[in-house]
Amino acid sequence: MVTLEDIFFCKTKFIFTFPLVSKEPLIVIVLAILVCLPWKMVSQTDSTAAKKDTIDFYDMSLEQLLKMRAHGVPNELEKLINSLISVASKKPLNTRESPSIISLITADDILKSGARDLIDVLRTIPGLDFGVDVEGVVGVGIRGNWAHEGKMLLLVDGLEMNEILFGTTQFGNHYPLDLIKRIEVIRGPGSAIYGGFAEYGVINIITKQGEDLNGISTGGIYGQGQNDYLHRNAYFAIGNKVNDFEYSFMGHMGDGQRSDQDYTDFYDSTYNMARNSNIKPNYFSASLKYKGLSYRWIGDYYNTSMKDGYGDVVPGIAVQETFRSTFHELKYVINPNKKLSITPRFTFKSQTPWSSKSYTGKEAYNRTATRALGNLTASYNLNRYVNFVLGAEYYQDKAMDHEDSSYFSNGKQEVSYNNYAFFTQGLIKTRPVNFIVGARYDKHNVYGDAFVPRVGLTKKYGAFHFKALYSNSFRAPSIENVNGSPDSLNIKPELTKVAELELGYKLGRRSIISVNLFDITTNDPIVYKTDSNNADIYVNEGGSGTKGVEAEYKLRFKKVNFSVNYAFYTAANKKQITDYSISNASSDTSALLAFAKHRVNFSAIWNPTEKLSINLNASLYGSRWAYTSVDSTDTSALEELPSTVLLNLFINWEPVDGLNIGLGCYDILNQKFNFIQPYNGYHPPLPGPSREIVFKLQYNLRFKAKNRKVVK
Amino acid sequence: MRKKPVIVNYKATAIALLLLCGSFNSAKAQETDYKAYTLFIYNFMKYVEWPEAQSKGDFILAVMGDSPINKELQALASAKKIKGRNIVLRKCATVEDTYGCHLVFVPNSKSAMVKTLKDQTKDKPVLIVGEREGLAKKGASLSFVTEEGDELKFDINKKEIEQHQLKISGQLVSLGTLIN
Repeated sequence: MVTLEDIFFCKTKFIFTFPLVSKEPLIVIVLAILVCLPWKMVSQTDSTAAKKDTIDFYDMSLEQLLKMRAHGVPNELEKLINSLISVASKKPLNTRESPSIISLITADDILKSGARDLIDVLRTIPGLDFGVDVEGVVGVGIRGNWAHEGKMLLLVDGLEMNEILFGTTQFGNHYPLDLIKRIEVIRGPGSAIYGGFAEYGVINIITKQGEDLNGISTGGIYGQGQNDYLHRNAYFAIGNKVNDFEYSFMGHMGDGQRSDQDYTDFYDSTYNMARNSNIKPNYFSASLKYKGLSYRWIGDYYNTSMKDGYGDVVPGIAVQETFRSTFHELKYVINPNKKLSITPRFTFKSQTPWSSKSYTGKEAYNRTATRALGNLTASYNLNRYVNFVLGAEYYQDKAMDHEDSSYFSNGKQEVSYNNYAFFTQGLIKTRPVNFIVGARYDKHNVYGDAFVPRVGLTKKYGAFHFKALYSNSFRAPSIENVNGSPDSLNIKPELTKVAELELGYKLGRRSIISVNLFDITTNDPIVYKTDSNNADIYVNEGGSGTKGVEAEYKLRFKKVNFSVNYAFYTAANKKQITDYSISNASSDTSALLAFAKHRVNFSAIWNPTEKLSINLNASLYGSRWAYTSVDSTDTSALEELPSTVLLNLFINWEPVDGLNIGLGCYDILNQKFNFIQPYNGYHPPLPGPSREIVFKLQYNLRFKAKNRKVVK
Repeated sequence: MRKKPVIVNYKATAIALLLLCGSFNSAKAQETDYKAYTLFIYNFMKYVEWPEAQSKGDFILAVMGDSPINKELQALASAKKIKGRNIVLRKCATVEDTYGCHLVFVPNSKSAMVKTLKDQTKDKPVLIVGEREGLAKKGASLSFVTEEGDELKFDINKKEIEQHQLKISGQLVSLGTLIN
């Protein structure tokens, strides 16, 4: 049998046959012509309309002239790929020249997809996937690597969401989807800019601010699974921009459930997750901005309940676990002249994650960590083609233990660390190629220093573009990593080298295809294990990494949008850590634990009218390996789980301006997707939601009608 | 052991063909929007002042060599006038052909001619507009720039404009980027 891997790595010789005498090819040709015809007609209609408007067109004002595009009025696809993003370079660049492998998701994409939470949105991006950690918490993996603990940075409007005790982020009914303006994802390293949590990637969420809201926005979601409700959320936001003053306030509250299915541990204890796996978001945000000065506050109180503990079913009632965070940011953008921008920025965050009372097999955990950070960044445009960024950062971490008999490794209930960093970047745009060179140096008072340079070449030549990127990145040991490291072993930052190559081609104005190859090698990763006294420790040990390919095709018409992407990862020829791989169960050294080697995402949106959209999307997972049982010696055993298809349908209708009503069905085929633990932690796969009927409502009341005039 | 060749049937080919047919269909639309360039040129004609002696009769607009912009400029010439003057489009092969023209557009393919054009039309009241980015630094009066996000902008070489006895309005200067 030929696998996709065979095709991509040319393991098999293919012979394509096309029997010309057969009837089927004729059908194909007719279909091909039919596909072509309407496009030509659209093109001619545009041309006729343009002729009619010739005189008005030439009478455009000088101000309108500034909105002209070199390649005509952009369609939806061109708007997307020409979007300026700064997540990968600080200096705004379009997505095809930005020096990272980038995915971009807009508010409209989210609205039409009917996504219930960030998991639904992010799993459509090639390379991103999810697994279970412990205590019902679902975390992120990227390109076949488990990135949950400090390896993937999650930013909301520039504020780091990762809790600093372990470095984790928690997914599932957490962040307010309806208030997201867009999501930028770097599917590669970002440490040279963002430091120690951006080793494998960056998810940058940009929420709607005052000018975007321009009024009031409210709505909610209700999702009914087979056995119980799964989502009951509501949100409210208000914001506006009046002259130079901009403000916004938003709140998102709800009650969801991870699953309504049965969870069974390795020893056949079982419970139904309905009413035992609550995930309740309480997210609030306020922002004030006057000219270059801005203040931002976010309160994120994520309350959960669970009975899966560290794998074994916790007897009795569900355990309440909370993740409480507050964030403050004060920023001032100073522009002494047109070329120079200086931004002093101060942030403070206080986080009490993983907080729970004691339960069978685990002591109570109640620790608060704070980070006070100062950052000064200068950006200088020497001219249109040369930009330099220079910056310095200092932060101080403090952690406090609130339990009477619990202490840090220093024997006290409080620890404190500090870190300073310098970073720089040069961007030179020339006709043949754009060069980007950058580096960041971090020095921590306990675990020492990390230096991560990066270099990139990018360029678009008409329809074609390429990116050749090489980066070093690092994962900074978190507070608990340092605390849990034996002094004799001197924990260090883990270092990663990533090489990436992307080629893209714009097939006409309405479609684009891009393919990228990547190779990730991590040396001395920080690994959790137990020592000879059965105490939890963190050590640098061995190596890990993956390589693979990601391909994406997007087609956007006014009435039809279509996209498909494919991702393949392999651990072949990479060092592997036994507990994070399947090396002790299979001779297939290329397969990964928890993450499918082959992933395909597909989405088709049909807009029969401007007010109605119908979206059919699917996520296909190849077979996945998971620890699913223990043998007679209490050794956990691996099993290859079959392929899964998550098929979803969502219809969005806007009966009046600003009101969106949506109805959909998630997991139509009722595959009951499981989240697998990507390491040998004696935790069986955690059931996800069953087939879910979703009802969504969104209402936007504008204070002032937006100028809808379109420049031709 | 040598692997047995795998026969992929025509259905796979069919799907690939369908996708390719659809995808390459509108490849033409990828091209530069010369209508936008023409609109800029029209505004250059309106907001640049020529000496009194060149302010009468037809406004002669020249293009060096062949360019897809000719079609759009011809449409402009048919539809509009400059301060009551007819616009006449002239296609030029040599620098000598541009003598007597008010504005010369230098397409991408003729960028190398800018220096010669500059030298040979020195002190003549002609506005040299370059399509390629950076030509304003090489002697053109104005040259186009495509910014990040595909926005069309232009650079201004004020020194060259003045050397050609032309005056550019402050309004137009405020929209472009002065390179000197």
